Amino acid sequence: MEVTKETLLGFYETMVTIRTFEEKAMELFAAGYIPGFVHLYIGEEAVATGVCANLTERDFITSTHRGHGHLIAKGGKIDLMMAELMGKVTGYCKGKGGSMHIADVDLGILGANGIVGAGQPIAAGAAFACKYKKQDNVCVCFFGDGASNRGTFHEALNLASIFKLPVIYVCENNLYGISNCQRDHMNVSDISDRAASYGIPGVSVDGNDVMAVYEAAAEAVKRARKGEGPSMIECKTWRHRGHFEGDPGIYKNAKEQEAWIKKDPIIKLEKKLVEYEYAAEDELNAIKDAAKERIEAAVEFAKNSPDPEPEDVLRDVYAD
Amino acid sequence: MKTMTYVEALRDGMRFEMNKDPNVYLAGEDVGIFGGCFGQTAGLYQEFGPERVIDTPITETAIIGHAVGAAASGLRPIVEIMFIDFTGVCMDEILNQATKMRYMFGGKAKVPMVIRTPCGAGVGAAAQHSQSLEAFFTHIPGIKVVMPSVAADARGLMIAAIRDDNPVMYIEHKGLLGVEGEVPEGDVVVPLGKADIKKEGSDVTIVAWSAMVGKAMNAAASLEKEGISAEVLDPRTLKPLDIDSILSSVAKTGKLVIVHEANKTGGFGGEIAALVADQGFDYLNAPIKRVTAPDSPVPFSPVLEKAYVPGEEKIIAAVKELFA
Amino acid sequence: MATVGIIANPASGKDIRRLVSYGTVFDNQEKVNIVRRIILGLSAVGVARILYMPDYYGIVPQALDGLKQEDKVSLEVERADIELTADQQDSLNAAIFMRESGVGCIVTLGGDGTNRMVAKGCGNIPLLPVSTGTNNVFPGMIEGTVAGMAAGVVALGIADGPPAVMPSKKLVIYKNGQPVDIALIDAVTLRDRFVGARAIWETERLLQAVVTRGEPHNIGIASVVGNIEPVIPESDEGMALEFGGEGRSVLSPIAPGLIVKVGVKGHKKIMIGDEVRIIRKPCIIALDGEREVEVKEDEEACIKLTFDGPRVVDVRGVLHERVKKWAGERSEG
Repeated sequence: MEVTKETLLGFYETMVTIRTFEEKAMELFAAGYIPGFVHLYIGEEAVATGVCANLTERDFITSTHRGHGHLIAKGGKIDLMMAELMGKVTGYCKGKGGSMHIADVDLGILGANGIVGAGQPIAAGAAFACKYKKQDNVCVCFFGDGASNRGTFHEALNLASIFKLPVIYVCENNLYGISNCQRDHMNVSDISDRAASYGIPGVSVDGNDVMAVYEAAAEAVKRARKGEGPSMIECKTWRHRGHFEGDPGIYKNAKEQEAWIKKDPIIKLEKKLVEYEYAAEDELNAIKDAAKERIEAAVEFAKNSPDPEPEDVLRDVYAD
Repeated sequence: MKTMTYVEALRDGMRFEMNKDPNVYLAGEDVGIFGGCFGQTAGLYQEFGPERVIDTPITETAIIGHAVGAAASGLRPIVEIMFIDFTGVCMDEILNQATKMRYMFGGKAKVPMVIRTPCGAGVGAAAQHSQSLEAFFTHIPGIKVVMPSVAADARGLMIAAIRDDNPVMYIEHKGLLGVEGEVPEGDVVVPLGKADIKKEGSDVTIVAWSAMVGKAMNAAASLEKEGISAEVLDPRTLKPLDIDSILSSVAKTGKLVIVHEANKTGGFGGEIAALVADQGFDYLNAPIKRVTAPDSPVPFSPVLEKAYVPGEEKIIAAVKELFA
Repeated sequence: MATVGIIANPASGKDIRRLVSYGTVFDNQEKVNIVRRIILGLSAVGVARILYMPDYYGIVPQALDGLKQEDKVSLEVERADIELTADQQDSLNAAIFMRESGVGCIVTLGGDGTNRMVAKGCGNIPLLPVSTGTNNVFPGMIEGTVAGMAAGVVALGIADGPPAVMPSKKLVIYKNGQPVDIALIDAVTLRDRFVGARAIWETERLLQAVVTRGEPHNIGIASVVGNIEPVIPESDEGMALEFGGEGRSVLSPIAPGLIVKVGVKGHKKIMIGDEVRIIRKPCIIALDGEREVEVKEDEEACIKLTFDGPRVVDVRGVLHERVKKWAGERSEG
């Protein structure tokens, strides 16, 4: 697959933006600026980036509780995201959703979701709408290894398969469902194996290699746009942080953690970019600095934004 | 006006909107060639084709879940859950997805979908196919709940429910499906949240919905003969509830009896009683009474089932207690 | 004590060729099932010990765990003490560990990719490859039960050398004069810069290829050679190809279900010891179907054909040999 220098640098910029956003969120959470729960995407950036690079604004995604990366990769605005994390009225959801519920329907982002596995049938529905309207747009459903044990997985994949829906199920297998290691929560090692029982193709790729993800997603998206139906891509990856901020991750083996940190997707891509002379180190640093600047600006925007008014509680429960 | 059964009327409501809006489609178990478990969708498959009248597998979670995604992406699904009892299977999709999306997203999403589902005992279907679970849904902010009692409302509320930009629980009573009534034709909507005074009266207000409306009417006719003038009010929509109409009626009669087929504890009758006690305490000259099913599952034996479902005699007895 | 190594690659049979063509779906439950049959075969011929590659899924422990009560085997089972990386490195590390532990035979479950990794570490230990991969030229479709029996016979020292245990060819990839990798079947250069999703399916990106063998019944790039001028595994020659639209067009099954016309500009037989220079750079070299080695513009790279591939167990040959020996023993006794 032909990949230009610009495409690769674009991947890098997206991944660095996600990483920087998450590191900032980590810091702000620790400092008490962010209420509730925060689930960070650090370590999994290649998945959202490689997948969403194949999508347009007309395509849909459903995201998860670990959703910041998906939103950024799909074009979400970081200032509105940051404001939402802080519960501000200027946030994506006017402070009604928080980290776990950010959405931008205009960009096809049908929301992060606090219920594990809930996005799977919703994604089938969005894909159903694409097909119903005879358009060639598609929906990507991001979900984790744990979510593939939910009944929603079964029902959604079955429905998507029999209706031949333009949906791509992207499993981010980070090997742990909260504290529960994959070998203890399922008797398959490759979640892509499960696709076969629904009569859809399933593949496994290195989720820390943005090119591998990009290529596989390109084929799956192409297939969906042509009306050939759903597919599943399992991306093997690793979350560097705990399940949520504040989780020390005592259930993870230190050696395992160390080995996976070495496979950091950003470092992997950086090495390639330098090796191919697509960018010198100082150019990469400039991309990083620019991301930092944008995120600092988002933080400023969020911090300076007003809180919602107490009477907003009852607003937007129903559409008029 | 045209004479139609309740089931024909609700089907005609769907047909009317499907003809009008290409984004409206119908999906559920056996709604296609089979025409629905109780014939609710008969003929629609032939009329609109498999692209708009869609048979799904037995997959309640995906039925509701896909509808949420389709609605949020611009369609207006009508989805059928074959029995309201089965909503337990897909409760997350109702409780945490359909009804929360708009609010969680700060008002930036619309989820216009109708969940059509039959309720009610009286057909010997026992505990998992006979319940009246409306109170579950009224407890969830973000959804509307309608329960038509007559054919005209079945059609008019259906049209209103489909046009509404929110998830609507459209609960049809199995025992009413074959009951005929006069139904206006054309673009006639019964607005959500508007009660209907089925019979005017001056001595007691009987609030009843769904299949209980007919029983309340019969009870009122009997009471009339004994000199008690009962006003029968059908809220038609439980959420939003037309509490003003209930309060005005109670202001006139001073007495309130609430009748529902659902179990007593946690039933929606308790909510109405609380609202009236709060906002209409001064109108009352007697305690508020509830006539409901007992707090048991729906039994199978016809003898037990008859004992379970509130009947006219229970309504009459409850009213009379207020005049003792 | 006769020991057999088992390397069952949990990741084989999952790559993108399920999406771009119709690659076999080989789920891990079936691998568990095959391992059960292999273990029963090993046990039946008297193998005393198994050394296995661990994996996240636990293919071998699950296989043992699921044996029926009456089938429980008494052989000793030991896990190769390697640090798991959950990628193809595990197969290599396990092979090295097994070689150092002195196993008598290694049974592999995987495709060409898995066997390539094992071949890098197994040294002189005979391999018995059982196919569970996508493009399989090196391993054959063999029933696990008899594969287990044959591996056991080899490990017990009952059969060795042709026709039971055959030598094989291999390709050594050199970059700037240093050997960097190997291939058992084919090394294909592609107009690509990334390893990406690893598999090959876009023929328009093909540049050059060197193969150790190629027959018309093969799947993958080897089939292109097979359809021009077959090269058999036993011969001491290989073939070098140059792809390009202006030459002949060869209809070949380059992946399961993917039968395409491949443009071949030129081909020539090469002999053991010959080196083929990589001319068109930068490129990626795919080894046995998987994109692996990156070659930059300024790097010198070549591919050399050798006969130093792993020794491969021929199940048919081994079991015939065993019957022959028994017959001999009986007539002597």
